[in-house]
Amino acid sequence: MASILKVDELRGIVSAGDITVTSEGGAATQSLQQGLAKMWFQINQSSFSVLDSINVSSASDDGTGVFTVTRTNNMNNSNYGVATSSMGDRVGLLGSDGNNHTTSQNNFTLNDSRTAAFADWDRNGAILTGDLA
Amino acid sequence: MPSVLNVDTLVAANGTDPVTLTKQSAAKAWWSLNGTGTIAGRGSFNVSSYDDVGTGVYDANYTNAMADGNYSFQGTTGVNSNTAYVFAYHSSSVPSTTDVRFGCDIYSNITLQDQSYVFGTIHGDLA
Repeated sequence: MASILKVDELRGIVSAGDITVTSEGGAATQSLQQGLAKMWFQINQSSFSVLDSINVSSASDDGTGVFTVTRTNNMNNSNYGVATSSMGDRVGLLGSDGNNHTTSQNNFTLNDSRTAAFADWDRNGAILTGDLA
Repeated sequence: MPSVLNVDTLVAANGTDPVTLTKQSAAKAWWSLNGTGTIAGRGSFNVSSYDDVGTGVYDANYTNAMADGNYSFQGTTGVNSNTAYVFAYHSSSVPSTTDVRFGCDIYSNITLQDQSYVFGTIHGDLA
């Protein structure tokens, strides 16, 4: 019978932000916290609304195909990872703009895959991984 | 009152198997790479090194191996200009347990190009 531990918050003892978990195959151990998403969102750029998110305090429409997302809790540095995707009536491409890649914000740009011009798309998602402050 | 558990390592009740995160999974690797000039990692998790395979093409080598090559890879790159970029598995090498190859293209003419902000995230099973 599987054991279930019910608890509201987990903290490391040696380091409050570092809990180790065993790999699926049992060959390695890795940090649990390092693998958790620290921010994610889905944003409709056409109507400009945040459909759902975690760790997003606000988002601004900066013009066609460009928006900025501001975090509730800042990242520890700007060396975090970003994964994105976009879906519209054509294939949308969503990049994390290196010109504003800070601990508190990211710019994202969307391009029409056929013309390469900036364009608004309905569904735009991103995941950030890295260290929170 | 919320309960707080202080613990350094979580394993399944048998003492060896991985603990289950209910209806969730954690990323097994991620990175932020400057892919221009002499390539350099900014931050990463479970990445031991990178290879500069050629213009716009890189390998990320894992510290702890994946269980197989059937994992999920999401990548992103981008600049603030009217040019679209594609970031994808590179066909010259299939994803392996120890590394993944990826590339950055200028979408308009499908030309490989080095990028200064290249991100990747891996989800799947570790060995």
